[in-house]
Amino acid sequence: MENVVIVSAKRSAFGRYGGTLSDMNPLDLAVQVAEQTLVLENRDVKNQVEQVFVGNCIQSSFESASTVGRQISLGLGMEVFTTTIDTACCSPLTCLRLGTQAIRSGEIDTALVVGVELMSRTPHVVRNMRKGIRIGKVEMIDPIFPIEYIGYNPVSVDASDGAERYGVTKHMLDTWSLGSHRKWVEAHKNGRFEDEIVPVTATSGREKVVFDADEFPRPTATLAKIEMLPPIFGARLITAGNAPGLNDGASAAVLMSEEKARREGYPVLGRVLAAGGVTDSPDGIAWVPATAISKVMELSGVGIDDIDLVEINEAFAAMPLVSTRILAGDDEEAWLRLLERTNVNGGAIAIGHPVGASGLRILMTMMYELRRRNGTYGVASICGGLAQGEAVLLENPDNK
Amino acid sequence: MSEISFRIDRERNIAHVIIDTHGPLNVIGGAFLSEMQTAAATAVEAGARGIIFSSAKKRSFLDGADLKELFSLTDPDSVRALLKTMHGTMAALARAKLPVTAVLNGQTALGGGFELLLWGCDHVFATKGSRLGLPEVNLGLIPAGGGTQTLRKALGLAATLDIIMGGRVLPAESYADSGFLTVCEPDELMERAVQWIEENGDAVNRNYDPGYKDPGTLPSEEEEALVKKFRSRYTVSSHRRFYEAALEAIIEGKDEPFEKALDREITLFCELFQNPVTKNKLDLFILNTGIAPRLMKAARGKAAPADSLAIIGAGLMGRGIAQVSADKGMKVLLIDVNDQVLNDSAEVIGSTLDKLVARGRWMPERRDKLLANIEYTTDYRRLEDIPLVIESVPENLDLKRRILRKVQEVNPDTIFASNTSSMPMADISEGAIKPEMVVGMHYFSPVPLMALLEIIRGPQTRPDLVPTAVATGMVQGKTCIVVNDGPGFYTSRTFALLVIGGVFCAEFGADPWEIDLWAREAGFPQGPLDVFGSVGGEIVYHAGRFLESRFPGRIEVPESIERLVEAGYTGAGKPCFYTAKKKPDPSAAEFIVRKAGVPAPTREEVQDILLYGMANEAFQIKHEGVLTDYMSMELGAVLGIGFPDIWHGPARFVSSRGVTRVRDRLQELHDKFGIKYLEPSRLFDYLAASGVESSLV
Repeated sequence: MENVVIVSAKRSAFGRYGGTLSDMNPLDLAVQVAEQTLVLENRDVKNQVEQVFVGNCIQSSFESASTVGRQISLGLGMEVFTTTIDTACCSPLTCLRLGTQAIRSGEIDTALVVGVELMSRTPHVVRNMRKGIRIGKVEMIDPIFPIEYIGYNPVSVDASDGAERYGVTKHMLDTWSLGSHRKWVEAHKNGRFEDEIVPVTATSGREKVVFDADEFPRPTATLAKIEMLPPIFGARLITAGNAPGLNDGASAAVLMSEEKARREGYPVLGRVLAAGGVTDSPDGIAWVPATAISKVMELSGVGIDDIDLVEINEAFAAMPLVSTRILAGDDEEAWLRLLERTNVNGGAIAIGHPVGASGLRILMTMMYELRRRNGTYGVASICGGLAQGEAVLLENPDNK
Repeated sequence: MSEISFRIDRERNIAHVIIDTHGPLNVIGGAFLSEMQTAAATAVEAGARGIIFSSAKKRSFLDGADLKELFSLTDPDSVRALLKTMHGTMAALARAKLPVTAVLNGQTALGGGFELLLWGCDHVFATKGSRLGLPEVNLGLIPAGGGTQTLRKALGLAATLDIIMGGRVLPAESYADSGFLTVCEPDELMERAVQWIEENGDAVNRNYDPGYKDPGTLPSEEEEALVKKFRSRYTVSSHRRFYEAALEAIIEGKDEPFEKALDREITLFCELFQNPVTKNKLDLFILNTGIAPRLMKAARGKAAPADSLAIIGAGLMGRGIAQVSADKGMKVLLIDVNDQVLNDSAEVIGSTLDKLVARGRWMPERRDKLLANIEYTTDYRRLEDIPLVIESVPENLDLKRRILRKVQEVNPDTIFASNTSSMPMADISEGAIKPEMVVGMHYFSPVPLMALLEIIRGPQTRPDLVPTAVATGMVQGKTCIVVNDGPGFYTSRTFALLVIGGVFCAEFGADPWEIDLWAREAGFPQGPLDVFGSVGGEIVYHAGRFLESRFPGRIEVPESIERLVEAGYTGAGKPCFYTAKKKPDPSAAEFIVRKAGVPAPTREEVQDILLYGMANEAFQIKHEGVLTDYMSMELGAVLGIGFPDIWHGPARFVSSRGVTRVRDRLQELHDKFGIKYLEPSRLFDYLAASGVESSLV
């Protein structure tokens, strides 16, 4: 079986809801990021890509809301088969898993993986206009409010209940959330996002702005102020302070068979030891990352104590806290030691969570930090709507 | 104009400037100043005979700088520029060749507002109850609108030091003896001001009158002694740079030309502006006046305060609670065991209020109304239709349970609030007829002066009791924090460690009086051994023993405290570490049990044992869930138990040092001195593991 490696991984800086990126066409954003990801140390590998996988959750934010992946490939000038995936927030890591499988099977050697989301561009929905309406008000639905699937709890309620079920207090959720901002501040100050962020030109009307720094983090946040925020959407413990935002951004990675990468002399940044997808009961989003991580640990044979860095998407603060607590076997001391190596440069609560783009973001943030620390193994995991989970276990090829 | 309105009374030819800035209080900002300049120039041009300032706001004449605007300025140069503009405006008014007066009708003139009166105006007319003062030091600042000079010219050096260093705001009556202010009735205010202008067309502003002599000039030795007194009272802690700056501005400025002194004032202000302690003081002010009310509103919800209440126990505390409640219009029933006790307390309350009236601090009507709201009885049957009963009997569990039973036998549906300083609600309500009707309302002594009320939610407390307690506390004018049940709750448990820590330091060989001095240098209002005597050794001992029994292995009472108490060294009228005149009483030292094998702690170690010890306990209490939020941690520590306000509170203190550094320092002190409660709280581990080193508050 072929070893699969990541030879390039980049992302845009993430934008605030209604912020700098909010007037862009998601197609344009994805193309700009993918274009720059395809250049490896001055060598353009665009014509070597054999398949493209694109993750996106809100296709209606594109001008044409279908096969948005193919639209992006065409925008890049690429005539290769493109798969568009929506497994909610899991999407880009599902893409990465499918790309990995295609390379491992020997079908292809090189794949481009893209994740993109402009939540600010989510259109409102009017359902009854086709038949025309009678006199009276027109009902308009906001499909991203209150972030729930009809017939199920709002995700905030599931996250809150999950935290309570595993004894994670509101104080801990709030503490973790402030920590997310503080860790981002420290990482940003020390230039630790320079490896992953590529500048994009954001257009708004006739204005063009070069956008290259995350705009969602709040360096002046305090724990006392986070604690004062009221609960949202009927959840007991979840507030705007311990949840991420609705954000805009794109991310991309190039996968290659290790054999080809070595032969052609491309940079080998990370080796995919295992990628796995799991499903839990629909209310299980808080702990499904733990299930996904357990799966890739099992697939790779790497144990939790051997893992140097953990990245668990902060869909809410509950996800990293509940999942690490489970992974630590409910041993308090082990839990604290695990938290110390989880989301070390801050997470979605600070950086933001453009749902279709975050999966690759957490993977690359972890990968570059693993290289910086000269670590060996790192794992990234994300939960998706109705409790599916993806995880990727990486090995640092330069430390073996 | 948006900040003031301007009109000229054609009949009398007087220019009226009516101040009405945006927001609930009149405040000074850039827009206000430029409108003032325009108004003054227009008045002069129009040939008005004089200018009269007044305010359109009911309670506020002009209350200092617009803090929001001031603190949006990030560099000292723009602060300097703003102050220069303010000085220019005042000087222009003072030098204008027409008399300038102001009228205050029950309103406040604070900080820059008072400075406008002292500098820009030639004379002020105010009704009784109008309040004027320079509270800048309370915010870690100094007056910078000329106040350090102009107040002296109006009142003399002694009063200037007293007002500026004390950050005092005084009723208009207190200024009546000086020449610059006349107290008069509301309906004659305006006429008196107009008359004064008509009679004093050639008035020369005292600040620019070369022949003017400051009132109350002292011989130089007396003046030196006076300055020395203020210096030793206010500059013990070098952290409080604003006191030194205020002294410097006043003292250096008094022998300098006016302009030079004013420039010094601005320079000193700009320096303070960047001082972290000033930031802490200002944030604390915002916490107190802006955030705490929001927290309380949230805790109160839609609950109404109790419209009447009964207080059981007419001691110092009970009387205090009765006084603040009755003062705010609540009907109060004060209950005690016999008529003699009740008569005595009625007498004490009466004479306390008489003193306030005699000193001009209170109107007689306020006293009379208050007294009419208090009724005294020994009859528990009177509790039948009282919705809230606050017990304030001595700290004895059996006694409190007996009282609870007696109350619930008469009225099981009344809210029973225990004013205990450390007994858990779970203990008090055990075996009660209705344990769900018990809540804690922990007041601080002396009740009329201490702003804090700690409200305790017991494990069985019915959910609507806390909101009612908060609503009632708000009516009583208290800043309420709500905590969960636990021995010593938040404040008493943390406070106990101040005294215990101080005594441990003495046992390790530090000089008791030096410990107190070092504590004050670190910013504590009182040293721990001084606190021992003023709280009362018996109380400290019993509270300590109680905490020791509930936190075995963590809190222990130093042996010396028992020895001191046995020997009758308990303060509160009996001997302790200080004589009645606050001089050290060395005889107390012989009861200190010297611990062998431990090196005497240095100054820094003593300060850290006290500061880090209290902060550690506050964090541990938060970790245990007794404290639910960091804002309450700050409020309780500063308002209730004398944690140094220069740090804003334990959470800001820890933030400023860094969580890991605090944890390491605690570990170091714990290991070196073997003080068990210095073992770092587990909460620090959680914070550190989450990547939180700072930014707690």
